[in-house]
Amino acid sequence: MRRLVTAIAFVLAAGPALAIDFGKIIDIGRQAVQQQQGAKEFSEEDEIGLGQAATASFLGASPLHADASLQRYVNRVGRWIALHSDRPDLPWTFSVIDTETINAFALPGGSIIVSSGLLKRLNSEAELAGVLAHEIAHVVKKHQITAIQSGMQADFWKNVGTSVAADRVKIGGGAVGSAVGSVAKPYILDAAGNLIKDGFFLRPLDRGLESEADQLAIVLATRSGYDPYGLVGALQMLAQNKGGGDAASIFSTHPSATDRLADLEKFVPAMEAYAKQPQLLEARFKQNVK
Amino acid sequence: MRFAASLLAGLLWLANCAWAQDQAFTNRATDLKDKAAAEARTVASLPENTAVKILNRAGAWTQVDANGQAGWVRAFHLRFPTTVDKGGSSGGALAGLTSMFGGSRAQSQPTIATTGVRGLSPEDLKNAAPDNAALAKAQSYRSDKPTAQRFAREGKLADVQVDYQEGARR
Repeated sequence: MRRLVTAIAFVLAAGPALAIDFGKIIDIGRQAVQQQQGAKEFSEEDEIGLGQAATASFLGASPLHADASLQRYVNRVGRWIALHSDRPDLPWTFSVIDTETINAFALPGGSIIVSSGLLKRLNSEAELAGVLAHEIAHVVKKHQITAIQSGMQADFWKNVGTSVAADRVKIGGGAVGSAVGSVAKPYILDAAGNLIKDGFFLRPLDRGLESEADQLAIVLATRSGYDPYGLVGALQMLAQNKGGGDAASIFSTHPSATDRLADLEKFVPAMEAYAKQPQLLEARFKQNVK
Repeated sequence: MRFAASLLAGLLWLANCAWAQDQAFTNRATDLKDKAAAEARTVASLPENTAVKILNRAGAWTQVDANGQAGWVRAFHLRFPTTVDKGGSSGGALAGLTSMFGGSRAQSQPTIATTGVRGLSPEDLKNAAPDNAALAKAQSYRSDKPTAQRFAREGKLADVQVDYQEGARR
């Protein structure tokens, strides 16, 4: 027993040095595997780095909302739902941007962006849960990563595995290795910059993927104790608020809300048993989203 | 007594509660029920395209006022036609936010414009410089697992066992 404790103490003390070595080993190992199989895949770390770097660009275009309690509220609702997904331990980051635009985005690795314009048009926490669960579903299913990987040019993949752990740069807060911020490798930062310039994150996903995300969203929100019909209410709001003239709106990144409602009508009745005691939490919602 | 007081408080709150989307139409012929349940008594049969006012929502059912008569219809039996949005109805601190791009640009936009005109455009995003300080701030708002679980308990949100349904499964 004492030996185990000593061993753990040694590992903890040697932690930072070991971490770099492990990182190198993992990088070299992955490079070898990719050369062998021609595999083109992002590691989870790269996925997170890509999403956090893209988030920094979104926040450069549209500022983070100044209301700290609103930010924490949205993060709590979102994390609670994410805990019911297959990827509960990603560094889930929910950012409310201060804009009248009605929109929400899912970025790889667990970064979700919602506009204050969207929040103030929702009626309840159950509707917010439906919206966040939809974006969480895109991350859990790696919808964007799949699209990115298929579109990446060969010269991008040449770089994969060539950088080592020591090359990582910090993005966001905290020190390298702390739980607060994130790190990314230089080629991931370049990829994020190129995807942003290319408008990738504003482009529509196909209706099949949106439908899958809607259906998974209903399951995740229900598992989290919310009324399954929250997303239905949010989509009815979107149908009513369909805007024009802005390609960055949720209406170009998604099929029409009316189409999505039609798809959901076939699916949601299976969840109706869970709608008997709806958890709308309007009072808490209105207290936080003023 | 305490029950009566909280009931009264609840009713007062409901009276003040305006749903952000208050106008809708039936998208098919449907029944107006006296309660939010399929087995409830039908108080009226509404033809397709009946204009209704939204009063409340509860799961699969939406409470409406149809020609002065209140009752419940299935949520999926309503359609919400596109309307000109004047900026939502909540009216609180989030209402009337000005664009972050400064006065002149925001003011040049008509206030009755459809949403999405002001704010984040594709050009804005393409030209944006990454804001690392804002990202650090956003990361500082992350919720850890115990905090999310406590928050759920406060809202009486309980875990429900639900499998992935057909269609949501890969």
